[in-house]
Amino acid sequence: MSSLQTEPDLSIILNLESDAELLREYVIESREHLNNIEQGALVLEDNPSDADTLNSVFRSFHTFKGGAGFLNLVPINKLAHGLESLLDLARQRKLILDGERIELILRGRDTLKQFIDKMDAQLTGAAPLAPILVPTGEFSLRIQAAMVSEPKPEPAQRPSEPAAATAPSNSVTVKVDTSKLDCLVDLVGELVIARSLVAQDFDLQASANPRFARNMAHMARVTRELQRVSLSLRMVPIRGVFQKMTRLVRDLATRQNKEAQLITSGDETELDRNLVEELADPLLHMIRNSIDHGIESAEARAGRGKSRAGLIQLRAYHQAGGIIVELQDDGQGLNKERILAKALEMGLAAPDAKLSDEEIFQFIFAPGFSTAREITDLSGRGVGMDVVRQNIERLRGRVDVESTAGQGTLFKLVLPLTMAIIDGLIVQVGSERYIIPTLLVRESFRPRREMISTLHGRGEIVNLRGRLIPMLRLGEYFGVAPATSDPAEGIIVVVQTGASVKCLLVDGLLHRQEVVIKNVGEMIRQRNASIAGAAILGDGRVGLILDVNALGNVPAANFAMAANG
Amino acid sequence: MKAEECSIAGTPSAASPGKYLTFVLGGESYGIGILQVREIIRPTAITPVPQMPPHIQGVINLRGKIIPVLDLRAKFGLPVTPSGDRSCIVVVQVKPPGCAVALTGLLVDTVDEVINLSAKDIAPTPDFGRRMDARHLLGVAKVGPSVKILLDLDRVVADETSSRL
Repeated sequence: MSSLQTEPDLSIILNLESDAELLREYVIESREHLNNIEQGALVLEDNPSDADTLNSVFRSFHTFKGGAGFLNLVPINKLAHGLESLLDLARQRKLILDGERIELILRGRDTLKQFIDKMDAQLTGAAPLAPILVPTGEFSLRIQAAMVSEPKPEPAQRPSEPAAATAPSNSVTVKVDTSKLDCLVDLVGELVIARSLVAQDFDLQASANPRFARNMAHMARVTRELQRVSLSLRMVPIRGVFQKMTRLVRDLATRQNKEAQLITSGDETELDRNLVEELADPLLHMIRNSIDHGIESAEARAGRGKSRAGLIQLRAYHQAGGIIVELQDDGQGLNKERILAKALEMGLAAPDAKLSDEEIFQFIFAPGFSTAREITDLSGRGVGMDVVRQNIERLRGRVDVESTAGQGTLFKLVLPLTMAIIDGLIVQVGSERYIIPTLLVRESFRPRREMISTLHGRGEIVNLRGRLIPMLRLGEYFGVAPATSDPAEGIIVVVQTGASVKCLLVDGLLHRQEVVIKNVGEMIRQRNASIAGAAILGDGRVGLILDVNALGNVPAANFAMAANG
Repeated sequence: MKAEECSIAGTPSAASPGKYLTFVLGGESYGIGILQVREIIRPTAITPVPQMPPHIQGVINLRGKIIPVLDLRAKFGLPVTPSGDRSCIVVVQVKPPGCAVALTGLLVDTVDEVINLSAKDIAPTPDFGRRMDARHLLGVAKVGPSVKILLDLDRVVADETSSRL
């Protein structure tokens, strides 16, 4: 906060050649943040100690500021930083947001909005390219004053007129509520099923009317196309986010006088549009942290026998029907002792608790947790990882951390499919059908009796070309009577997740089908972890998608007990 | 034990006057607030989900949405008769505290009618002591000679989703 001095007002010159795309995104995001700030400030006016709102407004300023820093929009960054610091003090209960300060926040927000509006006008070509100048210097002084002492009565001089309501036309993209998209996809799926029910109607088929057949074929084409389009509405490659990060790494490293290189893989991995949108923020925070705290300076790296340039890797891939995004750096790793010390200081851990590395690393996600010694304009306030976890958990994913001192850190975002589409293998067990993600199926075959042997009188193993793989009788495990108990009359599906390989015994394979994964709801999910989701099959009935990873982890008997408890 | 975990367990709830949908479950007559009823559908193919307690019948496809179906007869320990001509699935929309709005199907023997209850028709749940678990009840309503049991659906469903295993 001491960085705020009386200084001349700075102007912003947009670099449309290289940054246009990023600036456009920033403008769109900023509008959301500014709206959030405005609404938050109004809530705070009535209830200055509302912790949730304080945090939310603070985060908006924080993200706003981070973006401005990254795009080198100095005056915005400075102003947002000042307001953020003010809110930080309020958040720590060091000062009360009285009317004067709320006014200050709102005026500050208006000033920021002026910047954004002018940027928007230039970006869309509505205004000629020119340096953007909005006076902020006097504002900074007032913020400083508001932070140290009781606010003085201000003369009724407005530093800036609240921006006129210039409705920006964002004709390029339309933001649609995801629930509407979900609904559309659901209905189109139903349309496809309804169409096939009509097509298979015996009476209509018997009429053998060529015009009817022609019209049905036409309808089939249209519905198929409609389904394809509606599904693709949601799916985008993760490339866009990754590209954004490349730029970020370069700029951040330069600013910190470090050398860093970003290598991405799996750019083409498609995921749900809203997953991609929600991923950008957490990834941004994590990469900032990596460069700020993880990657050492070139000299320090050379001294440790590493290459001068730090290596940051971003990977995306599908696993177990889910999506994994990994961020790995080869920096100094997390400092376990310091994290533990800070956790003790903050009262997050009991002094005598025996904690595993994984548990200790999880503390970095606690709100307000930061071991950074100084606050930079990019990270160190301890908001980042807190936000990361919140965002990921909102997507019903989780963050795993692995770290080796001196070698680097690996963050693994495990994201669920929610709306993703998978290629599923539909298998029959007794009267039931289950869907196994085809991605995980290595092979399937009809076993000979001598391939299967019993272990300890309990588990069964399959000898597959010399490799011994545990076998799970799906029917028995699920309490569904299979058509046959003789494996030699069934089919074995070999599935692999990570390093673990399992053989599933089913009655038969039906077909392969692309299915839209739907949530089965908490009620089911909590009771049976081996159901990853459900999908609607061609006949309109529900098929359950298996979570191959969880299958067999819990003995069937435990399920029954848990269900009764 | 589940009740303690559920945040609304301690608060007394009472039935408010208004319209109720009544239906029969195992020979007893029940009522639920009409505002929570989304639709009533014919029994459709229920996909059983493995390793569920008997009162979770499975899941159905409701125009593209997957929703669970509860058999309240099994949950309340009422006699379960095979579904007849008049069985229905009543789709209800509930919002258990702390959870998202959820659609749930309730398998019922017969749907009766929509009745209008005024405050004087509604009596609090009689105290059956320990013989009966009255957590899921809002009260009872006297309609002519018969008695309708008013269900607290939020609590019935919250019960199913709050038990972390």
